[in-house]
Formats: sequence, C-alpha cells, structure tokens
Amino acid sequence: MSLSKTKSKISTKKEASCISNKCLISRRGFLLGSGAVAVSTMAVTLLPGTAKAAKAEVQVARYPSKKIGNIKQLKQDIPVAFNYPDEGRYSDMMLVRTGTRCGGGVGPKQDVVAFSTFCTHQGGPLDGSYNKKYKSLGQCPFHLSTYDLTRYGMLISGQAYESLPQVVLEMDKKGDIYAVGMMGLIFGRYDNLEA
Amino acid sequence: MATPYYRPADKVPLPPKSATVKTTACDYCIVACAYKIFRWPVDGPNGGPKASQNAFNVDFPVESLSWWYPDNQYNQVMHNGKLHHVVILPDRDTKYVNKGDSSIRGGCIAQKVYNPRTPTADRLKTPLIRIMGTLLPVDWNTALEVAAEVGKYAIDRYGPLAYGFKANSYQYMENTYAFRKLAWRNIVTPNYSDHDNPGHYPSTPGFRDAGFDNFGFAYDDLRDAETLLIAGTDPYETKTIAFTQYIKPGIEDGHKVIYMLPRRSAGVAYAEANGGLWLDVTPGTDSLVLGAMMRIIYEKGWEDTAWMKKWLNNNWETSSGFGQGTRNTNWQWRTTWGKFQPKSFKEWKKWLFAQKEYELATAAEMSGVAAEKIAKAAEMLAKPKADGSRVKSTIVVEKGLYWSANTVNTNAIAALGITVGAGGRPGQMVGRMGGHQRGGQGGGRFPTNKSPQKVPGRRRLKLNVDVWTRSGHTRFAHVIGTTWLTSMSGTQSLQRRFDELIISNPNQVSSFDKKEIIKTLKARMDSGGMVVINQDIYLRDPIGSRYADIVFPVATWGEEDFLRANGERRLRLYSKFYDAPGDAKPDWWIIAELAKRMGYNASGDYDWKNSNDVAEAMSRSSRKGRKAYHMVKVAAHAEGKTLHEKFRELGSDGIQGPTFYVDGKLFGSKRLHDTELMSRLGKSDDPQDIAHYVDNIDVLSSGANIVSKKTTHFNSQTGKQNLQKFRWSLHSDLWNWLKPRDGSGELWMSNGRTNEVWQSKFDDFRRPYIMQKWPENWCEIHPDDAKKRGIESGDRVVLYSDRVPVVKETILGVKGSDYQFAGLMKNGHIELTKGAITAIAVVTPDIKKGVLFTDFNDHRSQANALTAAVPDSISGNWNYKMAIAKVRKIGVSPYKKDMRAMSFTRRGIVDADTA
Repeated sequence: MSLSKTKSKISTKKEASCISNKCLISRRGFLLGSGAVAVSTMAVTLLPGTAKAAKAEVQVARYPSKKIGNIKQLKQDIPVAFNYPDEGRYSDMMLVRTGTRCGGGVGPKQDVVAFSTFCTHQGGPLDGSYNKKYKSLGQCPFHLSTYDLTRYGMLISGQAYESLPQVVLEMDKKGDIYAVGMMGLIFGRYDNLEA
Repeated sequence: MATPYYRPADKVPLPPKSATVKTTACDYCIVACAYKIFRWPVDGPNGGPKASQNAFNVDFPVESLSWWYPDNQYNQVMHNGKLHHVVILPDRDTKYVNKGDSSIRGGCIAQKVYNPRTPTADRLKTPLIRIMGTLLPVDWNTALEVAAEVGKYAIDRYGPLAYGFKANSYQYMENTYAFRKLAWRNIVTPNYSDHDNPGHYPSTPGFRDAGFDNFGFAYDDLRDAETLLIAGTDPYETKTIAFTQYIKPGIEDGHKVIYMLPRRSAGVAYAEANGGLWLDVTPGTDSLVLGAMMRIIYEKGWEDTAWMKKWLNNNWETSSGFGQGTRNTNWQWRTTWGKFQPKSFKEWKKWLFAQKEYELATAAEMSGVAAEKIAKAAEMLAKPKADGSRVKSTIVVEKGLYWSANTVNTNAIAALGITVGAGGRPGQMVGRMGGHQRGGQGGGRFPTNKSPQKVPGRRRLKLNVDVWTRSGHTRFAHVIGTTWLTSMSGTQSLQRRFDELIISNPNQVSSFDKKEIIKTLKARMDSGGMVVINQDIYLRDPIGSRYADIVFPVATWGEEDFLRANGERRLRLYSKFYDAPGDAKPDWWIIAELAKRMGYNASGDYDWKNSNDVAEAMSRSSRKGRKAYHMVKVAAHAEGKTLHEKFRELGSDGIQGPTFYVDGKLFGSKRLHDTELMSRLGKSDDPQDIAHYVDNIDVLSSGANIVSKKTTHFNSQTGKQNLQKFRWSLHSDLWNWLKPRDGSGELWMSNGRTNEVWQSKFDDFRRPYIMQKWPENWCEIHPDDAKKRGIESGDRVVLYSDRVPVVKETILGVKGSDYQFAGLMKNGHIELTKGAITAIAVVTPDIKKGVLFTDFNDHRSQANALTAAVPDSISGNWNYKMAIAKVRKIGVSPYKKDMRAMSFTRRGIVDADTA
C-alpha cells in the first residue's frame, strides 16, 4: 500500500482532519481490518490540481487511536483500567500483561492484551475477576461466564452471545501502547462508536 | 468469535417501532426459554437508538439485563417471499421460565434460520431419491408414491414388524402425533423406537414404578428446595436457565446443592464454592452411594416417618390389580422374580442393612467418593434442623445416573426420595431435569403384545429395534429427525450391518423410471436387504447421506406453527415467522401424504389442512397426560377461536399442563403430585396454582375437565408411593467385567453434553462462533492420567477398545438369568467388537481421575462406538455411560498453538483466586 508515500495536496476539510488525526491506518491495521468492519471507505483525491489528479477509494479506520500506556509500566498479571473508544457508557476496558503468548497480543512476547470488562451475555461486570493462573476473567456474577484472554476473549464456559470484545492494540518502537480498534460489539451499544 | 479470521459486526441494525413482534420458545433444551422475534422488511427503515425510535422502547446504550444484542442474534429471512431482517432475543416481558435470560444455545438461535448466504444454505429443499448412488432431486409425488408403495409392500409381504420406525420423541406434538398414529394405529408395529433408546422403554423405570411423573415439579421448586440433590447432570451445562434463574438464586439464599457426577463444570464449581458438595462418583456406582446414604439416614433416624406413614403402599396395595391384568403390566413382571417388591417396609429396611455394598466404607471405596462426603450429603438431605423441623429436599436426575445403570440407579434414587419425604410438596419434589422438550403425543396405543421379545415367564418386552435391525428383520426403516446410528450404543458394528443390508446389496436403483425404482427397492427387501426413508432438515451423516434411499425435506421451528411443552409442562405456541426453504414440508404433512397413499385414510383422518387441524384432532388424547391441553381447545371454541389462535394469545407465558377450564377461566397446573393442593384451595395468590382459581375440588372435574390422579396423588393403583429394593447384583456383572483392568491402561469413558453446543450439533456446525470454540470432538482427561500417557491439551488422541460388548440377536428368554449380561455372555449372545475414535485432548482437573469425558453424539467421532450395546437386564435400555477406553497420543492438533480456536482452560474456574 503506497498511500503513506504519496504526497497529496489536501483538498477537503474532511481529508485534512482524517490525515491529521492519523486515522489513515497502518499496514498492520489494514491487514487486520480488511473485512471492512473496523474500517470505512472514503474517496480521496490524489495529486489534486495536477495533470495526474485522480480519485481513489481509501480505507480509513473508524476508530480513534489512543495511547494507553507504555509496556515498561506494565507489571505482569496486574490489570490496568482505561476507557475506549470514548469515555461514554460501557467504555471500561482492562489492559494486562499476561506473560504468555496471546491471540491479538502485542509486545515482544505477544502477551499484552486488552478487553472490555462487560460480559457479552447480559452486561455483568467482569472487573476484578482476572485470574493470573488461567489468564481468565469470570465467573461473571450474573450467569457465571468465564473468558480466555489468551484466545481472543473466547468463552471458556458460559453463555455470552459473542466473545468478549477485544481492543486492537499497537505498540511502537518506544514501547508505547495504542488502542486502535475493537473486535466485537461492546455490551449495551448498538454501534461501538455510539456512546 | 472475534479473531482476525472471523470478525463479527461492530454494529447492528435496530428494529423500528413498526416491526412485527412474535412470540416463540427455543427449539433446544428442556427449559424452552421464551423468545421474541422482531421482524421488519429489509427495504424499509431501521429503528434508532432512542426509545421512541425502536421496537424495544429503550434508549441505547441499554442497561445490563436489557435488550442488547450482537450480530449472532440477527439474521435475514424470507417472509411471504420478501427479504426481512430478524432479531431473535430472550423475551424480557415474560414472567416465567427465563424472564429475559438465555443460554448461548438459544441465544444464538437467530443463526438457525435458513439464509442461503450463511452456512444454513444446505438445508434440504426438495425430496431426493438415490439413483445411481446419487441423491437426485425429484418431485414430491414421485418420492411419496415410491415410499408408500415400497413401505406397503414390506408390510403386506413381511408383516408389520418388518416396517421399522426410528423417530424423535420431541419435535413438536403435531408431528409426533402423526407418525405415532401411522405406526401404532394404522400399521400397528412394535418395531418403533425413539431417538434416545433402542426400544420404546421408559427412561426412568425406577421413577415410573415408584409412582413419580418425570416432570411433576415446577421450576420454582428448584429454587425453594433447601437441599437439592442433582444426580447425573450439571443443569448449568445444558438446562442453563434452570440453573441461573432458579438454582443459583436458591444458593444465594443459603440453599445447599449436592451434585453427583464425575465432572465439575461451572455449576458444580459454583455450588461447591457456596456450601455445596461434589460427589465425584465413578460411572455405574451411583446406587452404592445412594444405598450408603440411606443406611446413614435410617441409622440416625432421620427418615421422614410421618410422610412415609401417609404415603407408602404396603405389600397388598403395591400388588393390587393394574391396567391390563397381572401378567403383562410393567410393574407385575418385575415383581415376579421377587427382586424389587419388599414384603413390608420393615423387611425393606432389613434388606437395606443386610447388603454389604451399602456399608459406608465399601460404597466409598467402590464409588471413589470420600466417605465423609457421603455422610455429609445424607446429613444435608435429611438431618432435621435445630428446631426439629425437616429440611425441604428435592431430588432431580438426568442421564449420568439413569444411562449408567438404568433400573438399579433409578430404583435407588426413587427410594431415597421417599426416605427424605420428597416427591409431593412444594420445594420437596422428585423428577428429571430433562434433556429435550416434551413434544411427544401418542397417536395410538403402543402394540406391546406384538413384540416377539419375551421376558422369561410370560411377560412381553417392547422390541429392541437396534437388535432387531441388526438381525436383518427390518426391511423398511422410516427414520424421522434423528441420527440413529451415532445415538445408539455399538455404533460402528450397527453401521457395519447397515452397510451389508443396504450398500452391499446388489439391488441398487439405476433408473429414473418410477416403476423400475419400486421394483428395485422391493427386490432389495426380498433379497434380505433393507430400504431406508429419511425425513430431516439437513442431510445427516451417515443415515441420510450414506444410507437413505429416499429423503424428505422437513420444515421446522419458525417455519410452521407448532405446540410443545417444557420441563415444567409449560405449553406454548412456537410461532411461524418465515418461509420454509424450498419445498420443505412439516413432518405431519409428509406422514399424512404417505398414509393416504398407503390406504390408511378411509375415514379422512389424515385430511389435515394445517398444523392447527392436527393439534385439534389430537387434543382429546392428551387428556390423561401431563401435557393435557384439551381444555385450551374447549376454551378456544367457546370464544370462537381455533386452538392455535388461543395459544397465540397465551404468548410466551403459555400455560402449564394439565389444563382446566372452569367458569370461563382457563388455568394450568403448577406441579403434579401436589399432596398439599387440597389444603390450599381458594387461598393461593399464585396465578400458576390451581388453588388460586378454585376453592372446591369437585368443580375441577366439571364439564369436560378431567382431574388425573397425579394432580394430587402418585401414579399407582392406590395413588401412594412404592418403595422398592435396588439390586446391585443386576448391574454388577456388567460393571465388574467392564471396569478398567489393572495394568491395562484402560480408563472409564463417560460421555455427555457440553454447554456451548446442542445435541448432534446440526445447527452448531453452521455457527462460526461455536465452531471456533469446538471445532472437533474433544476428550477431557485428568492431569494425572494425561501425564502418565504423555498427553497435553491440544494433542490429538485416539480412544480405543477391543472389547466393546454388543448383543447379537433378539432372544426368547427362558431363565431369569438369560437377560443378565453374564447369561448373555455365557450363551454366546455377545460379540466383543473393536471401537476407536479420535479427539482433541483437554487436560483438566475438572474431570475425575480415572474417567474420560467426551461429547456423546458427534458423527465425526462417535462416543457410541465405544459404549456397551448390552440391554439393561430389566428395562432394555442401552446404558450409554458404560464404556472404557485406552487413550494415547497420535499427534498434535493445530489448536494447540493456534489461538483462534478451542480454549483448553478448565471449566471449573470460580473467580480470581481459583487455583
């Protein structure tokens, strides 16, 4: 994808806001999101005002990019709370360094993951239930669901209608960890980006 | 499942205020949670997030326990030929059963509906006939005519016993009525069995003989019992809402739950962590634990003397005349051998104390349950409280108990129930938790007298269809909505016979000419082979895909209005809300069309035009049963409505059977065997309670109302209970022969359900969310057993045995011992076969050491290839939990390292501190 190398003159306010907010997704994000779920398509004019001006459809991330910490600050098996993709209802998330390779994990050991803390059965609270031996959340106090944080928030045992929504993370060379998307619909919401 | 491979949507469409809303109940487990379907056209507007904008009348984001859903609860269907959105959610407006809760199974039922853009695209849509080895689509008339003529030929030439039925007992009353009517009233064949047993036998003979209805309790009783004994199941696993809405609140109120089974799944772990007990019993030894508990109770004088004085039959009362007379009743032939009926209560007690196996130390050693736990369980069930009042105890069972030693275990636990005064009062009940919903409706009387199987002496036993078919006597097999082979013990040897009788037979259809097809299929039967016709929604492997000569496509849940009851006898209308795929038709219609062509419609009985016609025709025959709904029809007609219309009005709350219609009021029965009902008449606030509507018992039988004995009494001649002996000796020969041999590496192999899938996974295979969790068959193994064999979670293992016992022929018993396993072995009626399946190992401390646990019905890896096909010596049922296997690693599965699928983490985690 050569978009990042293209120097294009910004011609619309929307394009300007999009590019300055870094919502043009990285290569990794593109590969993750190519199911057209976490991304939406918009039209951009390449090389506007020149003889080679052309319209292109580009994919841009729906989700904001939010820095949530640095890997050096994370102690193994001590969850850290944060909010994503906004500060609204049901934006409570937990970030944890599990010490073991995880699906969707970042870091040299791929062991840093983050998930919503609302059970995707009927919205029970999962915060405080992290088990460091099993890398799990639960039993949810409502109906006893348990989740495997090493396997993309899959149910271990339970009733959830969807795996526990996982935060898509990225880590840069400095070890800063960014939340850049969500896999799965957060409890309570009909659209992840509508608080 | 959210992985880079499968991304569910991160937003869902909302139904507008104009959406059509229909009520239904789940198609799956016994609990039958109530659901609402929200349907709106795709080319219309969607709803919005404000309460004024959507059909739920709530603002988004919603509260917990409110109308939220991800896209697994959304789909698209055709309704009247137009594309519609549907959202199917647990009904938050219902007062009963689930009250808005649901399991993952029914929760994702929106994925069940036919949508050709999803994995349900392969629903059967047209009749098929196997021609040149390929199932080719044909028109209905051809398929029906061929089936009818060939079936009739089998009956005319070989007799009714040559026409066999293997059918489900639960897939809606209109349907089961139709095929039982054809089988028992028209053809009159005893060659008939249900999905879960080899012959039409009762699942819980001990309950039946004691006088207990299997489904007499109300779900409230599970919550109100102060001590609840659950044997052979974890309701959390597959009757989830019975746990989350009833048992869990009970535990939160301080009630104690005792589990008796070898597996600690989430419900067991939760109960154990909250004052309960886990009796980790070795398969088959339940009666020893139960006997030991009873010994302790009687030693301490904790039995419910007052209850037994009032409700126990004496010897004369037990023997007093039954039904058809003394020779052919179920009860009588069992008492002939003197094995069950005591001379008196005193004699029974003396017998109990004389059996060595019920001594605590012996029972503990053989069952592998610690003696202290057995003693504690007895105390929790029966020790009076400090003020001298009795503990309210309820006992419920399921297949872990009754499919391991069918007669012995159910006799034993019925006796325990009587001992602790359970079975006939609120919070003090006895019954089955249930598996499937109650969708059976008799269409005639089962022709037991036509069965050639006789018990030594004079008694007839209902025919074992598997053995009869293996012996080559079934010429024409009519298979309705069940997998048969994978569900029955001795799968692989039964399948070998199917190959011989069907595929290896030289008479295979090689012409499209109808006369030629019929001629070939008749020749197949005449040459000793078998013809199979199959009604189902999908082509099942192998019964449909490999063996069926004719396949009929069936319309199912959501595609037709149907009636059915749940485990507390709650009857509802399961609404039609979308178009059946292609040319699929409901089972009742297919049977009617066959019956007409076979000449059974002289009186117009089969001229049903819709499912309501069937429901109305059969209502009278429901009258003595627990689902008696005839009065709903009486009420409906009094109001100028059809039966189904009346049920539609009753919505997802439905009505509990048996039903009554008195003074213009229609009401149901909260529980059966309600010995306190009389004292509550006219004083109850509970709208589910009969006592809320009448203050005089006599008005209950006014008009067309029938009060069945079991409303206030038990199912025996006198209405009292029968206390029976329970004989370890009837099971010990098989158990001792089968049990893992020292030094052999063998382990017990139990099998059953796991929470996230339903049955044979016919719908789950088509749900990516579920398939990523359980992509293949799995086998739980204790860490000690695994370490010894070098097995880790995620390894591929083979489970195998070279001594799977399979009974060969239908025999005419002469001596009592002829039906015992030892007698069958001695007389050469048992073949020792080999069986092997592969699975993915799940190493977990939540399965008892020495016991393996795998899925019970996975056609890709059939547990029943290893289960003993030895009929229970008294009831005739297969004991599906009786299996042993060696296990060794054969490789590593991709799931070991691939994080996208199959969590291997133990299911018994309770919280952050679980070690």
